[in-house]
Amino acid sequence: MLDVRIRKAFAGGFALDVELAAPPGVTILFGASGSGKTLTLKAIAGLERPDEGRVSVGGETLFDSARGVSLPVRLRRVGYVFQNLALFPHMTARENVEFAAARLPARERRARALALLEQFGVAHAADRLPRAVSGGEAQRVALARALAGEPRLLLLDEPLSALDEPVKLGIISDLKALNRGLRLPVLYVTHSREEAVGLGDRAVIYERGRVVAAGEPLEVFGAPVKASVARLTGVENLFEGVVEARDDEAGTMRVSVGGGGCVVEAPLGRQAAGARVTLAVRSGDIMLATSEPRGLSARNVLPGRVSRVEPGAEQTLVRVRSGVEWVAGVTRQSLHELQLETGRPVWLAFKTYSVRVFDDD
Amino acid sequence: MRELDLFPLWLSLRVAAAATLFVVVAGVATAWLLARKRFYGREALDAVVTLPLVLPPTVLGYYLLVALGRAGPVGRLYEAVTGGPLVFTWRGAVVAAAAGAMPLMVKTARAAIAGVDPQLEDAARTLGKTEWQVFRRVTLPLASRGIAAAAMLAFARSLGDFGATLMVAGNIPGRTQTAAVAIYDATQAGRDREAAALVLLLSAVAFAVLYLTNRLTAAGAK
Repeated sequence: MLDVRIRKAFAGGFALDVELAAPPGVTILFGASGSGKTLTLKAIAGLERPDEGRVSVGGETLFDSARGVSLPVRLRRVGYVFQNLALFPHMTARENVEFAAARLPARERRARALALLEQFGVAHAADRLPRAVSGGEAQRVALARALAGEPRLLLLDEPLSALDEPVKLGIISDLKALNRGLRLPVLYVTHSREEAVGLGDRAVIYERGRVVAAGEPLEVFGAPVKASVARLTGVENLFEGVVEARDDEAGTMRVSVGGGGCVVEAPLGRQAAGARVTLAVRSGDIMLATSEPRGLSARNVLPGRVSRVEPGAEQTLVRVRSGVEWVAGVTRQSLHELQLETGRPVWLAFKTYSVRVFDDD
Repeated sequence: MRELDLFPLWLSLRVAAAATLFVVVAGVATAWLLARKRFYGREALDAVVTLPLVLPPTVLGYYLLVALGRAGPVGRLYEAVTGGPLVFTWRGAVVAAAAGAMPLMVKTARAAIAGVDPQLEDAARTLGKTEWQVFRRVTLPLASRGIAAAAMLAFARSLGDFGATLMVAGNIPGRTQTAAVAIYDATQAGRDREAAALVLLLSAVAFAVLYLTNRLTAAGAK
């Protein structure tokens, strides 16, 4: 278990003030650039000294301002993959990993390095210099190097941001498989919601140097506590609206969005009729139909027209105009079977309980 | 015409080699401090090390004479340890040449070390390396081309030192008379052919060293 509580003020007014705990498994640090994610990693590794606070892993203190403890970087045993990887350009892939395996006797280092490169599927690149390997291979070499020193925790700073989707997904699954055995706390900084939900066991949301939400990724990303977090975490359908009427008996309320162009049934909240609210629906919770659906339990069925189709690696986003512009996620197969294309009339369907309502902030 | 005495040229090469050895060790250490450490008086140190580049050689020679002379602090220490004086020996010429070459070494090596991505050094630290290991395995190899170029410049500069050498080591033929000093001596005495021969030889060696340095730097830029 990694425990972090740090505070540091910077010239120019920015202040980092975070508290987080990371059990074994992958904890995602998610937030806009400049929100303090990388600074947190640096403070844990000892490359940045907090003004005050405490960092401990597995009960051992790495930093404690109150007791005047600050372990030197080299003694912290932290595996760190930098955003630009920082592979040593004058060493081959194998030498990079061997260099990190210095805790082992000299005779065992080479075998250990080759085994790690093998595990990450880059044994064929062992004798090449970093400039002669592809981006994905360099990524795998950097991960192998970070693990070669038998670290107590792993810090990954946007390690996959520059890679193609298929390469990225391959590395994510390898990393997850490896860590099932190692059980290391892994802090993983990313901008990508796909990476966050695909890789994370937990997610911590940063905003301007502070932690604004933490929990299971689907929970954090699925039911944001604030409209600003929803925007940050990519709940794609986010509209300003007004509560039209409350139905206390049915436990629902009607909310109009887009200036009354569209009325949606939502779970009953504490907002009074007439209150201004923000309404949020995840793209994955919306179904699309090419004819008007009947006999459906979903209470929200809205007619519209496809305005745009955006193919992606995991799912395709279909934008549909119905009072406002909605975004629905479909698989590639559905896209083909339903022959969804711009201009096609469709119906949107989603459950009352897929709708979340927040106070405007 | 009597045969050309090549001793001054050999002495110059020997003095330059010894001075370069000293300057590489002291200069790289200073350059690393200046490029990587934040400390009070950093730019003052840089200025002091650079002074020999802009001061008249006689001023440098004067300082060295005061420090290294038989009554000076360094000179007394040297004599106590080795039993002989430092000034007016070829070792004095080494110190004079080294002081003159130091600015070139430090300036060039500082730029080379500053050009190494500090994140690579941080990466090595996270991999459990001590500061010395970081320097020896990461910083030094990546700055080596620039440092080699700096060493060659220092050698070429040491080879041609005149003013400070004359003041500290004197002009003792067969003992402390380097090529640069011998050329002056020959010209003053009207031995023009001897002067011309040494001039050509010294120029050729200096040209070769600078040419190699350029080749080395150009290869690094590719």
